[in-house]
Amino acid sequence: MTLPELIADRRVLLCVGSGGVGKTTTAAAIAAAAARRGRVVAVLTVDPAQRLKDALDLRALDGKPRRVPLGRIPGRLDAMLLDVKRTFDELVRGLATTPEQARVVLENRLYQNLSSTLAGTAEYMAVETVYRLAEEGEWDLLVVDTPPARHAVDFLDAPRRLLALLDSRAFAILKDPSTILGGAGSRLAQWVLSGVIRGLERFTGIGLVGEIADFIRAIEGLTEALRARVAAVGGLLRSDASRLVLVTAPEPRIAAETAELATALDGVGLAVHGVIVNRALPRTLYGPGAPDPGPVGAASPALAARLARGFADLRTLAARQAAVVAPLLATARAPLLAEVPLLASAPGSLDDLTVIGRHLFPDEIVGGSAARGRGV
Amino acid sequence: VSARLPLRTQRLVVVTGKGGVGKSAVTAALARAAAAAGRRVLAVEVGRGRLGAALGVPTPLGLQPVAAGSGVQAAAIEPDEALGEFVERVLRLRMLARRLLESTSFQVVAAAAPGLPEFLVLQTLQTWLDARRLGRRVHDLVVVDAPASGHSLPLLAAPQTLGALARVGPVAESLARIGERLADAAHTAVLLVTTPEELAVRETIELHDELSARLGLPCAPPILNAMPARRFGAADAAALDRLDAHHPHVLAARFLLARRREAMAQAAALKRALGTPVTLPFLYDEPESAAGIGTLADVLATASDLAA
Repeated sequence: MTLPELIADRRVLLCVGSGGVGKTTTAAAIAAAAARRGRVVAVLTVDPAQRLKDALDLRALDGKPRRVPLGRIPGRLDAMLLDVKRTFDELVRGLATTPEQARVVLENRLYQNLSSTLAGTAEYMAVETVYRLAEEGEWDLLVVDTPPARHAVDFLDAPRRLLALLDSRAFAILKDPSTILGGAGSRLAQWVLSGVIRGLERFTGIGLVGEIADFIRAIEGLTEALRARVAAVGGLLRSDASRLVLVTAPEPRIAAETAELATALDGVGLAVHGVIVNRALPRTLYGPGAPDPGPVGAASPALAARLARGFADLRTLAARQAAVVAPLLATARAPLLAEVPLLASAPGSLDDLTVIGRHLFPDEIVGGSAARGRGV
Repeated sequence: VSARLPLRTQRLVVVTGKGGVGKSAVTAALARAAAAAGRRVLAVEVGRGRLGAALGVPTPLGLQPVAAGSGVQAAAIEPDEALGEFVERVLRLRMLARRLLESTSFQVVAAAAPGLPEFLVLQTLQTWLDARRLGRRVHDLVVVDAPASGHSLPLLAAPQTLGALARVGPVAESLARIGERLADAAHTAVLLVTTPEELAVRETIELHDELSARLGLPCAPPILNAMPARRFGAADAAALDRLDAHHPHVLAARFLLARRREAMAQAAALKRALGTPVTLPFLYDEPESAAGIGTLADVLATASDLAA
């Protein structure tokens, strides 16, 4: 599947990858290209660099989409900041049957710790927002710049794990410790768990038993509603309406993380539809197959030598990059969708996005309506 | 006027920064530089990363320190693992501890004691710092390759986070001692590593505020890693205009010039906020090779008080 095909008729495109690989820029450039092709697009982003933020006019975390001024184009592009901190509380408020029920949960200290520290919760909330916006149906396509995941699939697998946590059987272990040892006799189990908790209490000096009981009482009433919601969000991500691309950079650490991510995504049943490599040096110029151009005529010998050295350095870097990308593509079992060259400075304007868009969609006639409606 | 890294008498150096700025390479280079100055060094990675590769250790690092070249040992510690070990110790029943740890609901227990896994990591570091054999220290210096900024905060804030909850018992006592030593500039140095890129510099400045102002930790001058060298001057830039604009050498030079200009702007922003950094060069060839780490170690040795 090519990149133009990926944006042609799907509803959600997730850009996934490590922090610092240019996911935000890639997501914005893809979204702009889709808007130029006539789609009504929103790009949802987590933490853009200041200049890109300015370019997209993303001033505040107010959850409001802002129109990106792309001139006269057939479609429309809105940009919006995803607030991964606030929405969990909002979700609790939305699902609670009474304000009192919400208040009890929100004020529980354990809930406060869990909502910020339970691995993947923040990431999950980003996905939750995507689900909400997809439901609202104002946009044809949502391009999502996902939060950098600490553990490979936190943000996508979080629905399943959150569900597992909220599953009453899991909570049952704390309510009735006999379930932990299924069949081994409840008295022994009770003794084991209370031993653990007493041990922890003794070592930490924290009153754990009471806290946990309070938390379970508080969250119990919400569990069913949360479960239904989480299942629906997980369903959208795995459905045919969603597509997922990996964004990476040709550096050993990042490529290794991306390969790990690809394997983990596969493990939770999420297919990778392609890989975009940012910050690549152009192969045609510096790649191993590119011809040696020979010295520059008319340059002084000293300058010519320094020019040759600079060129040689970039060729060394390009070779290193090529060696890093090949094994990643093999692991991900997904096509290389595009290579975006290393820009001298971080992209910070709509023009920069257009430049990047040309590398992502080399066949597109940028700015006009030529590509309008293709595949839509 | 170059910044000075305090490494000569400190026992604990924590290296942190945004993901991908080269923390592991800097940690490995610091370890090599300190070992070359005669200190017995233990390089520790928190989590799973590239420290082993940067030190040329072929096997995955673990809790048991392994030799990693002259004067350097290396180990790794995972907060979750530390928590597991702790529960096993408290329970003394390995099998049952495993079952409990595997259950999702254990996360609830862990969340009730925020900072506990991180505290256990700090406690392990402490054990290494205190280790003695035949009456002398096993490790003079412990260099920690900490997790990326967002996740190194919980680690370094653990004495405060957990300390606010745990007021009595063995943990409380141990926490107080660890907190004191972390805040002591004669004992600890926190090194923030960044690259000359906007996001990395911004995150480093924010992290510095958190670590220094909020947690009161002794932060050393920042380390600016992967700074592209100055290859062409103003006269060259003018000369380039008279050359064949499409020649690959000229294109390469223009690219390098623009990259250097951008890096200088970011370096200036870093300097304005946090003072003069210690600058490490961008290495076009493999930075994590023995030669690459050696180059970085030489610069760090010169920029520190190790030789004094």
